[in-house]
Amino acid sequence: MKTRLVTALLCLLMPALALAGEYDLTVDRVKIDTGDFVKEGIGYNGKSPGPVMRFKEGENVRINVTNNLDEMTSIHWHGLILPFEQDGVPGISYPGIKPGETFTYEFPIVQAGTYWFHSHSGFQEPDGAFGAIVIEPEGREPFRYDREYVVQLTDKHPHSGDRIMRNLKMMPDYYNRQQQTVGEFFSEASQNGLMDTIRDRMAWGDMRMMKADVEDVQGFTGMINGMGPEQNWTGLFEPGERIRLRFINSSAMTYFDVRIPGMEMTVVQADGNNVRPVNVDEFRIGVAETYDVIVRPKDAQAYTIFAESMGRSGYARATLAPEEGMAAPVPQMRDAARLTMADMSGMPGMDHGDMDHGDMAAQGDMDHSNMSEMDHSAMMAGTSDPFYAKGSGIAPTAANGGKFLSYADLKAQKPLYEEREPTREIELRLTGNMERYTWSINGVKYEDADPIRLKYGERVRFKFVNETMMTHPMHLHGMWSILDVGAGEWNPIKHTVSVQPGTTVYMETEVDAPGQWAFHCHLSYHAAAGMFRKVIVEGGPDSTQAKTEATTEVGGDA
Amino acid sequence: MNLSKLLILASAMSVSATAFAAGAHSDGHGMGSGEPGKASEASRTITVEMYDNYYEPETIEVKAGETVRFVVENKGNLVHEFNIGTPSMHEAHQEEMMMMVEHGVIQGGKLNRDMMEMDMGNGHSMKHDDPNSVLLEPGESQEIVWTFTGKGNIEFACNVPGHYQAGMYGEVNFK
Repeated sequence: MKTRLVTALLCLLMPALALAGEYDLTVDRVKIDTGDFVKEGIGYNGKSPGPVMRFKEGENVRINVTNNLDEMTSIHWHGLILPFEQDGVPGISYPGIKPGETFTYEFPIVQAGTYWFHSHSGFQEPDGAFGAIVIEPEGREPFRYDREYVVQLTDKHPHSGDRIMRNLKMMPDYYNRQQQTVGEFFSEASQNGLMDTIRDRMAWGDMRMMKADVEDVQGFTGMINGMGPEQNWTGLFEPGERIRLRFINSSAMTYFDVRIPGMEMTVVQADGNNVRPVNVDEFRIGVAETYDVIVRPKDAQAYTIFAESMGRSGYARATLAPEEGMAAPVPQMRDAARLTMADMSGMPGMDHGDMDHGDMAAQGDMDHSNMSEMDHSAMMAGTSDPFYAKGSGIAPTAANGGKFLSYADLKAQKPLYEEREPTREIELRLTGNMERYTWSINGVKYEDADPIRLKYGERVRFKFVNETMMTHPMHLHGMWSILDVGAGEWNPIKHTVSVQPGTTVYMETEVDAPGQWAFHCHLSYHAAAGMFRKVIVEGGPDSTQAKTEATTEVGGDA
Repeated sequence: MNLSKLLILASAMSVSATAFAAGAHSDGHGMGSGEPGKASEASRTITVEMYDNYYEPETIEVKAGETVRFVVENKGNLVHEFNIGTPSMHEAHQEEMMMMVEHGVIQGGKLNRDMMEMDMGNGHSMKHDDPNSVLLEPGESQEIVWTFTGKGNIEFACNVPGHYQAGMYGEVNFK
């Protein structure tokens, strides 16, 4: 009786102590079966992908990670705002987790939404060491759904990450299967004239690149929730229900164009943060990004979730159906995109005079009244998305001619920070030499670079200038990336920002997290080659106040 | 380009007007959502608050034949609609609202009322004056008096693009 009373009293006191959850993860060697091949990889709790970690906003989590490998490991909680010692980057946050050891992470959950976790050691992440994080908000969501699924994408390659990196270093086009053929040369020559075609090819030769360099690691099998296209992961529904799909791109290298033929998708979250709902037919998910969409299948039929890689070298496929075993047709992949000269326009030494976009301008003069039979969206695609170079060969279009999500469509549902002038601008040129497979920032690779030093309380405007012909998903740890889409205080906040070839993208960061953090391209082999920086935040809040209080301080004239 | 779009819009508007008429005046066929009511006949007042992007309350109960006075308040940061209709009426209306966004009539938290008045030819405009709905900027408030003539599958919904799909709707249950 007495103990009961004490327990009851303790329960009454509990809210003051906040929720505390304890979780266990083991890091294990696992078998990964894609349906095309079986390979050894790394997973969590005996599987790859690992479990979906479900947290609640306001909870304090303790996560015990036991390393069962014979090498060092680490776990980074991608997109989570936490003390830097808990961020899981060996050499920056902590030394890492030794073989046989258990490391206990401990941090408060101060946000909600869809995120993921992965190893930040070597190539363990491409080898399968990742899982999903779902955080339930304290209050209600600004949208409604009847059920939800995590849809975690990856590009599983038959080669190990170490072997891929060795091959790329030896021969950067080792995995690039879509090099242009002699046949293509002649068909282009007949279309564009021989001299133009030769000039075009020579220009590409000068750049030490091939037009087909949209993806530098091909030959993978696309997977969803650990299942290949033939294994067909299936999520069940009842007709009329709203389903929240939490898309996470955990690929090493691959951007996916995602659609569900016959169904519109309403994007409600990007990188875990609520955005104003946007109806789309298709969206491109960059490496490490997440998008939450709501779909509403009205009929008792199966729907295919189809995710083709941006370079069309592979695809992932899954199904939504009222019953197990049902399937819908799987579309053919569309033709591979080819980079154009416009995608190289950011490269230094280019003669911009050669690149007049005369053909694009001409479209503006056309008599649109005669175009009713034409596919407007496909025609205009090259110019419609401001986050691609004008005339880009890789600007996406929807397979059904409908709406393709652009960064320009993303507006914060509720601004997290007050709008203010940035205190300074830092230019980061994304650079690389494809011939030697070196990737860098401002021409300097990680090992040779000084850290980027930020001051606690400032608001920094980062200017990314992509001087390469590849897309780079830039990920700043520990602090939000406020992506400039021209919407002022409604600019969306993200953790990963894709910078397309030949473009300049701006993001701002409220420097509100002391310590040292990683900042890098999230393509595994680009990060490893040197497109990576350490960021040091100097100073901090005066006292050991709670983070939230510190955040409001930053809003002042710090 | 603009002209052709306006024509499409104008014709879509006329289609919807017909659809609404069919909905509103089809008593006895069990298809409509009811009809405009007289304030003097209202049995009670229900306040509906609109947030980004949901209603409070999300369910209301009415009796067949009951007239209700709704006080609709937009407490969000975005333009929202309160529209009483069947799911198919909402679906048809969503296309019109999409065009209103494309033409800049609805811009996040702003409504361009001048543009809504613009004469688009053939007596059509982008006026949003159907008696079963109100479209409000943040901070605005307006009333609707509505008679629920017969039982049916009726929802109140915001048809600003993406809002209904994200779950900004409420159920009308008949007692």
